[in-house]
Amino acid sequence: MSETKTHIEDVNRAFYDFRFEEKDAYRVRSGLTPEIIKEISAEKKDPDWMRDFRLNSLEIFERTPMPDWGPSIEGLDIDNIVTYVRPNAERMNTRWEDVPDDIKDTFERLGIPQAERTSLAGVGAQYDSELVYHNVRKEVAALGVVYTDIESALHGEYADMIRERFMHLVPPTDHKFAALHGAVWSGGSFVYVPPGISVEIPLQSYFRLNAPGAGQFEHTLIIVDEGADLHFIEGCSAPKYNVANLHAGCVELYVGKNAKLRYSTIENWSKNMYNLNTKRARVEEGGKIEWISGSFGSHVSYLYPMSVLKGAGARSEFTGVTFAGAGQNLDTGCKVVHGAPDTTSYVNTRSISKDGGISTFRSAIVVEPKAVNSRSSVSCQSLMVDDISRSDTIPAMDIRTAKADIGHEARIGRISDDAVFYLMSRGLSEDEARALIVSGFADNVSKELPLEYAVEMNNLIRIEMKGAIG
Amino acid sequence: MTEKTVTVNTPLAKTFGWLHVNGTHLPAGESAPEKRLAIACGDEKILILNEAVRLKAELEDNAVFRLIQVRYAEEESRAVNDIQVTCGKDAVFEWYRVILGGRATYDNCSVTLAGAGSRFEANIGYRLEGEELMDMNCEAIHTGKKTESLIRASGVLFDRASKLLRGTIDLRRGCAGAVGNETEDVLLIDDTVRNRSVPVILCSEEDVVGNHGASIGRLDEDLLFYLQSRGIDNASATELMAKARVDAIIRRIPDGQLRAALLKED
Repeated sequence: MSETKTHIEDVNRAFYDFRFEEKDAYRVRSGLTPEIIKEISAEKKDPDWMRDFRLNSLEIFERTPMPDWGPSIEGLDIDNIVTYVRPNAERMNTRWEDVPDDIKDTFERLGIPQAERTSLAGVGAQYDSELVYHNVRKEVAALGVVYTDIESALHGEYADMIRERFMHLVPPTDHKFAALHGAVWSGGSFVYVPPGISVEIPLQSYFRLNAPGAGQFEHTLIIVDEGADLHFIEGCSAPKYNVANLHAGCVELYVGKNAKLRYSTIENWSKNMYNLNTKRARVEEGGKIEWISGSFGSHVSYLYPMSVLKGAGARSEFTGVTFAGAGQNLDTGCKVVHGAPDTTSYVNTRSISKDGGISTFRSAIVVEPKAVNSRSSVSCQSLMVDDISRSDTIPAMDIRTAKADIGHEARIGRISDDAVFYLMSRGLSEDEARALIVSGFADNVSKELPLEYAVEMNNLIRIEMKGAIG
Repeated sequence: MTEKTVTVNTPLAKTFGWLHVNGTHLPAGESAPEKRLAIACGDEKILILNEAVRLKAELEDNAVFRLIQVRYAEEESRAVNDIQVTCGKDAVFEWYRVILGGRATYDNCSVTLAGAGSRFEANIGYRLEGEELMDMNCEAIHTGKKTESLIRASGVLFDRASKLLRGTIDLRRGCAGAVGNETEDVLLIDDTVRNRSVPVILCSEEDVVGNHGASIGRLDEDLLFYLQSRGIDNASATELMAKARVDAIIRRIPDGQLRAALLKED
């Protein structure tokens, strides 16, 4: 067989690398001090409890050490990060025509308004530290579904609901960057789906970081009440700069009794981004959380969506794909805590490493003593495309009851010569055979994404195969 | 004054800190006697040890070393065992580790497959009862071409027993053609047991294969029902299946006399 190899292109980022001149209306100094936190809090007209919460989080941040187990984040100097940048726009518009032209053009290029018209029940668009647009279809709002920016909700009729839940699933003490988020969070969405309501088409939030050397710290809080059903899509991108940018968002999902939430993310931050995001869901009796996660961008990622299966019969499914190219160290995976009887979890991931990229699958499955009759199945596969890249699999299982069934399988390898040979025997050329295998490898996960999101995915994954025979 | 501690069983790759599996802290000063061993080119050696050891072995080309270590139920002490082996070209190291008791067992076995075509096989069997603890780190570091490793673990936990197994297959750049496999089969008998497994595959070489499979859980209810339908009571059926887990490893021990003795008394 030929020694030559199929060439797999990097994810094509040119689509996302456009940028506009910065015309922000307000920004704080770089770094972190109590004065900066008070400045952000005043700018955002926080209630007193939130200002105190931010200051307490800053104290926690200062005393919490950096993680000692993941990729290096030495290139990230928090003293050089601007934690709050308000774009030159009204805080939140519900009419697209009211959004400033350059910001509007950004989201037009990303296809967000078009997607809203054709296939979404509502859209939120965040530009740097603030949401600049939020809208939900009238017929969806008429069902009692609330989809708004979290800051407005913090001052309105849902204030108590938010206060009871804000950073309760992910407390600032969870890790250093959860504390940072608690101190400087800004923007993000609040969603409430009332009992029994099924939102037939997805809601989407899109996060765009335009300012160089800035951080984005949006907070997403979703409550899907008893028997309700929602699909929420999150997209992220940024143009590339020569300085480090930081994303330390936080997602808290409350899935009620017999409710279902599908949370899909396509992350394509630029390769100067440190993506230190935290996502967590609590699932009550009979409820289900489905995570669909595509990680393609950023310089360094720490991303492990966590499901806490709190009620009997709660379920979690995690489907993920990670593509690490040159200069990327993507540490992704998931965590599941089985905390009640008859809970189930299913994890299925794929990762591809090329051109010196590093992809790591890291997971934790914890089955508590009370989680009798729980089941978990984890499957992770990694594809090494060349010999200068790296792919690691670091799963952990902690099982504290005998009445559980836990299965785990992992495989790291290259494109199978036997599979190529088989396909060639069916009439495909070698390059066609390899192309089919690689696209099939990633397709196992991407097919879980909604059809209407395929356009976005096509813009993200440009895995182009070309034969190099002869 | 705080007690001096030493960290043992530190894995090649750490995971989330809150899981507390990135090594174990023990009081300093507990150290087994150190042995050094060099096995000459083409020689074969079998070593049977019943006590903990700090062993560093160098296997020259084509050497074969089989190390058999059994820890018996009556041993109440804490054992800290540390095995480090380097294999030359086509050398073979086989480690047979059977733990049938002992208050606490801390094992580290690190094997570097440096020579092309060298091979490492670990066969780990355990039966832990009462408050017994097993904390093990087993790693195969592939640096030579076409090297092979197999970490095979099979065991059973009763009562409040606790087991932690970190198994790492490290496929380093240059080990083209290497294959690393790890399998784990854990039977949990009582609701108060604790099983922790951290099966790691690290890979920085393209032309390699690394596989891991684990099955952790309770007795197969269909099998239990079948045995009961054949007149075997619940306790006997449980014991039968628990014994089968450990015997699967014992049967691989290359010393016939020891194997027969263990199968009889197990």
